[in-house]
Amino acid sequence: MTAGKSLSCIKCLLAITVIVIAAGTAFLYSGWYPMGADVPHNRVTYWMLETLRERSIARAAANLEVPADLDSSDRLLSGGADYNDMCAGCHLKPGKTQSDFTLGLYPAPPNLTRNDDGGGTNKAQDQRRFWIIKHGIKASGMPAWGPGHDDERIWNMVAFLKRLPELTPEQYQILTARGDDQAEHH
Amino acid sequence: MKLKSLSRFAALPVLIIALSVQAHDPKEHMQDAEKPDCKAMKDMDHSKMDMNDPVMKAMMQKCMKDMHHDEEEEASDSSTPNEDHGKHGQDNKKPSEHQH
Repeated sequence: MTAGKSLSCIKCLLAITVIVIAAGTAFLYSGWYPMGADVPHNRVTYWMLETLRERSIARAAANLEVPADLDSSDRLLSGGADYNDMCAGCHLKPGKTQSDFTLGLYPAPPNLTRNDDGGGTNKAQDQRRFWIIKHGIKASGMPAWGPGHDDERIWNMVAFLKRLPELTPEQYQILTARGDDQAEHH
Repeated sequence: MKLKSLSRFAALPVLIIALSVQAHDPKEHMQDAEKPDCKAMKDMDHSKMDMNDPVMKAMMQKCMKDMHHDEEEEASDSSTPNEDHGKHGQDNKKPSEHQH
């Protein structure tokens, strides 16, 4: 009697699983999900993707060793120039509140002049930023800079990001301008 | 024959890597590089600045050359008119490193 009941329960579970998989597959192939960047995800999808992203980055970046000299002026100068060339279009610079990229990308790139790219301890934030710059984030518009930039250069950008929210537009201009000097040094 | 086709396969990734490295070289950004606006630094309130702050040190590092250049200009302005003319004459012939 009990064996028969549990058997029918298993059958029922199997049937539900098959139905869910079939329904999911049908939805995937139907093309009903809006894929345009101008239509936001529903809350459940957004939460799932965000949680997946944050947990994945936290796990992958946890063991990175942060250089002790991240507050050196040389790192600021080198990282600043790269930030201006590679990142400012999406992540903005002091005095700018939006760009075509911040308006059009989904999810919108964080405004790094306001430090709104996630909290955590200083060390965790440095590790997270390094990992994201180096490896990028799938389907977000954030490229992996690792293939063309060595780790030192990426740590320089992390160093610059630490001070970016405090900079005035004038300070930013001086720190990020490559000018003649860097041409001579490189 | 095999060696030839193998070398073709190898050449493509090498070429792609070489091009990507070249594209991310800081020199590539020099063509449209801005010069630091060091005049803005002179207008800042120096009494409120911490000279040991890395941001301040970095700005000084960047503008040091520019500031020395201005000091030299001021010094040359206060020198004798004859010397002054001579110097400017030279400058006109040879473009300065720090033309703004």
